[in-house]
Amino acid sequence: MSIEVLNLSHSYKIGTPFEHKVLHDVSFSIADGQFVGLIGPTRSGKTTLAQYLNALYIPRKGKVLIDGENTADRRADLVTIRHRVGYVFQNPEYQLFAPTVGEDIAFGPTNQNLPREEIDKLVKNAMEMVGLDYETFKTRDIFALSGGQKRRAAIAGVLACRPKVLVLDDITAGLDPRGREEIMDVVKSLHQQQNITILFISNSMDDVALLAERLLVMDNGKIIMDGPTREVFARTEELRAIGLELPEVSIIVDRLRSAGFQLPAGILTVDEAISEIAAFLKDKEAREQWS
Amino acid sequence: MELTKNITLGVYLPGETRVHRLDPRTKIIGAFILIVLLLLARSYAAYGMVTLFIAFLVFISGIPPGYALRGLKPMLPVLLLMWIFQLFLHQSPDTAVLFRWWIFEATEAGLHMGNLIILRVLFLFTVTTLLTLTTSVVSLTDGLENLLKPLRSLGLPSHELVMTLVIALRFVLILAEELEKIMKAQMARGVAFDRGNFIQKTRKIFPVFLPLFIGAFKRAEELIVAMDARSYTGGKGRTKMKTLHMGRVDLAAALIMLFFTGLMIYVIVTYEPFI
Repeated sequence: MSIEVLNLSHSYKIGTPFEHKVLHDVSFSIADGQFVGLIGPTRSGKTTLAQYLNALYIPRKGKVLIDGENTADRRADLVTIRHRVGYVFQNPEYQLFAPTVGEDIAFGPTNQNLPREEIDKLVKNAMEMVGLDYETFKTRDIFALSGGQKRRAAIAGVLACRPKVLVLDDITAGLDPRGREEIMDVVKSLHQQQNITILFISNSMDDVALLAERLLVMDNGKIIMDGPTREVFARTEELRAIGLELPEVSIIVDRLRSAGFQLPAGILTVDEAISEIAAFLKDKEAREQWS
Repeated sequence: MELTKNITLGVYLPGETRVHRLDPRTKIIGAFILIVLLLLARSYAAYGMVTLFIAFLVFISGIPPGYALRGLKPMLPVLLLMWIFQLFLHQSPDTAVLFRWWIFEATEAGLHMGNLIILRVLFLFTVTTLLTLTTSVVSLTDGLENLLKPLRSLGLPSHELVMTLVIALRFVLILAEELEKIMKAQMARGVAFDRGNFIQKTRKIFPVFLPLFIGAFKRAEELIVAMDARSYTGGKGRTKMKTLHMGRVDLAAALIMLFFTGLMIYVIVTYEPFI
């Protein structure tokens, strides 16, 4: 499923003294099956933009096309659009409300008025996708879950609506390292095994570098960079100018490079760094043996 | 969807006008007198006067008139309903019947009563909104507390009372923001709040309130911890960083208020009440 955004602008509190513009003439498109990262400093308009993609906001200026369907069209079925473009909020666990995990995840499909067995099947599938065992967690009290589990339950709640596109708004924020890793594994398998198109909004450059094939960079309500992840991260100075950094690993590799290690530029993930450093060290041993 | 847009009660609009610079006590007393006058006013002439005076206040405080009235927007359906009820159901022994509809009679007394109620709500709301729009929370707190001080000797916990009031006022906006977030999260999962008949719509509201209340309690708890961490113990022995001063502006305001009050009393006494 494709997403197209054309000349989109947005202001908050229109018609009040507090009116301010948060999106300026934003245009981009996401093709079916892509994994796109969206980064930018806080208050750059990422979340507002994201909420346009599943028609929580309807454009006044500009257009949002979901598979060619204009969300501002009066005949557009917004409920269907919202099911096809799943949206996981920041801190989604705050919005869990049903007493048990199973009931909460069933909320979306229930709104679609599906038969009971169908709903159960969807809940089961969704729970398996996020790695929560159906039998164990179905009747578990929401408040008895850990932070990472709550977040996975919240994601399952969106997945149960069978989205073709997922917009994930900073879903690793505030998790401990293990919770973060679990969530990242879930996201990875959603993209690779379920073929879901993903827009991944994040403040963690490491997370973005790990999975995104393409990056959008926002600042002050504008998209200022759009390109393959590696190319965007190569523009280090521009990123630093708006308060963004490179992934931690890249910074360490850069230090090693300036300390005389002969490593290639543009290393973005831990796995890449490990194999390159290992190769270099082996190579060095070899050279020392020769000399 | 944007819920916070229409909330003006409890919002402070920073500015440098004479109204902003007034001592909070002057503004609170002024607002209080205005409200009392409003409750006494029962003729269209009196309401005409009030309208002019409030328009004058809005003008000199530099608040966009549309914004001052914006908070009324969500209340319009309820106001309209109240007006209709009064029109048809107000009982009065000798009044002209305007028209009949089915078993209901629209009476002249009912019409006036409906108008009176609408005007009162409208102006009560505008006066209080004007007060909070031009007075920061801090000075509002200081002013109220100062005014309630004499009642302390009667055992009224003035500081605590004001603190509670101010926190409640702040929470209006915070809860509205929270509500918006929760509603959006549920819309994202296929709830269409604007679809269905009245009963269906009402049923959709329930799943929204649960997370809202949980969130509110959580916030309240966090607030308690934050206040505790800064050694808050209530009003006892608390000193003020800024002391309140009445100045020339306040004298001018008092004179204007006095003049207007006199005028209003004259109008209220001379003009025959319509109800």
